[in-house]
Amino acid sequence: MTIQLEFERPDRERALDKLRAPLLALWRDLAGLYGLLRQTLRCCLAKRPDRQAFFEQAYAVGNGSVLFVSVTMTVVGMITVMQSGVQTQRVLPELSLLGANIIQILAREFAPTVCALMLATRVGAGIAAEIGSMVVTDQVDALRMSAADPVDYLVVPRFLACVVMTTALTYWSLFISLVAGTVAANLIFDLNVNTFVNFSLVGAGDFVVMTLKGLMYGAAIPIVSAQRGLTTFGGSEGVGWATTNAVVHSSLAIIMLDLVLSIVGYIVFPPV
Amino acid sequence: MSDATRATTPFGLIVPERMGQGLLAIAEQVGGIGVLAGRLVARLVPPRIDRYELIRNCHKMGVRSVGIVSATALFTGAIMVVQAAPLVVRFSATEIIGWGAGFAILREVAPLLIALMFSGRVGANNTAELGTMVVTEQLDALRALAIDPLSYLILPRVIAMILMLFVLNIFGDLVAIIGAIISAKALLDVDAHMFMNSFLNMIDHWDFLQSLVKSVAFGTMIALTSCYFGLNVKGGAPGVGRAVNSAVVAAAIGIFVMDYFSTFVLK
Repeated sequence: MTIQLEFERPDRERALDKLRAPLLALWRDLAGLYGLLRQTLRCCLAKRPDRQAFFEQAYAVGNGSVLFVSVTMTVVGMITVMQSGVQTQRVLPELSLLGANIIQILAREFAPTVCALMLATRVGAGIAAEIGSMVVTDQVDALRMSAADPVDYLVVPRFLACVVMTTALTYWSLFISLVAGTVAANLIFDLNVNTFVNFSLVGAGDFVVMTLKGLMYGAAIPIVSAQRGLTTFGGSEGVGWATTNAVVHSSLAIIMLDLVLSIVGYIVFPPV
Repeated sequence: MSDATRATTPFGLIVPERMGQGLLAIAEQVGGIGVLAGRLVARLVPPRIDRYELIRNCHKMGVRSVGIVSATALFTGAIMVVQAAPLVVRFSATEIIGWGAGFAILREVAPLLIALMFSGRVGANNTAELGTMVVTEQLDALRALAIDPLSYLILPRVIAMILMLFVLNIFGDLVAIIGAIISAKALLDVDAHMFMNSFLNMIDHWDFLQSLVKSVAFGTMIALTSCYFGLNVKGGAPGVGRAVNSAVVAAAIGIFVMDYFSTFVLK
């Protein structure tokens, strides 16, 4: 086989390569993600997960993020009330239905998604940095040599912990943003608690959508971040890149899942 | 806290002590960010900015983020329509979807999500870069050459981040509205003309202005936190990883706090 040098190739082929390269990289990433997800699920089903590792990770993911998530969700609850109250006042004379609508939109959209975005920032970066630095210091290869599957040993506990804790924190986010929203509605629009906290529009469908979002985001964050971590190369600089990419890609995955799940929720549970 | 002090702390004081340490750490970070901001402003008075660095950073931070920002904005616009759909269907007023989705996009969601993405991509990368320079003593090398690291390295980055987030936000708003129009057509069968009609009737320049003000506030927050944490890296390469993590977390909290204040000030 003769080696073809780069400058000998026709321009058309080089231009095509430039177009093809990002698509191929995207395809490789998606295939890698799918492979990792399949392997993780198989390991989860094949044997009982290590309980101690699970609880350690769950503590790091969940308890470590409670304060962070609470601060952001307080702000989100207050802002949602403020913005929608001001806009509703432009078209409706009174705000008695404000609470019911806000609770629905918090449950369907803001509580799960903002909480997951925050976790993607904090937890995703942590997972990628941890696994990435193990990869560049050859610790993952050492695991393979000791016949320990890195996916089983490193990814599975993080995956299970993230799924459980993201769902739990989603409910916690809804509670916190609801409390903050009630306080804000009371202070800004003089709505009393009984008028604002009105679950009449919230159905089982909203909670199904919310729980489903929590579970799916919780699965997406560790898979995307662990894949970024496991494909790290290039020393400590590479770990930095893996961390950045983990945050960006898992946030993007959350936003994409959000659109898909919102549309599914809208079709399966149509508004009453 | 060392083991020696833990041993001497009475059991009942462990929790208050840890809370106090947390508060002191937060106070130190906020104070450090404030001092950094003050020193940067002092260097603006006769502007001493490296022009080449500024342009290079603008390209690296802005142009390279266009793809991720447009993907985020397109999805965000579509999601806002999906979420506003139950409301407009309930009041059987599909013609106000342009207003409902439009104000949510412009005032809140687009600036917020674009800023979070920008913080993840650019802010984290900036912290990692500065942190690596600090642990390899490149900043000390600059000082030894009598080059002020703040005006040569930091100020161009800060200005580039604020400027580029501002520009990307305008672009992202546009893309988000396109996303909203597409999903309104697909989901509610509201055509683009009707969407734009209610959008233009009910949305005024004030909504757009709010989006711009927020993007500048968020950009300042991202720039200052990422530079502060990058400059204060301790403990070699693992320290850089920790700094990146805390920079992204601090930037997210900063963005939400800024969002709160700007929403209440601008109404």
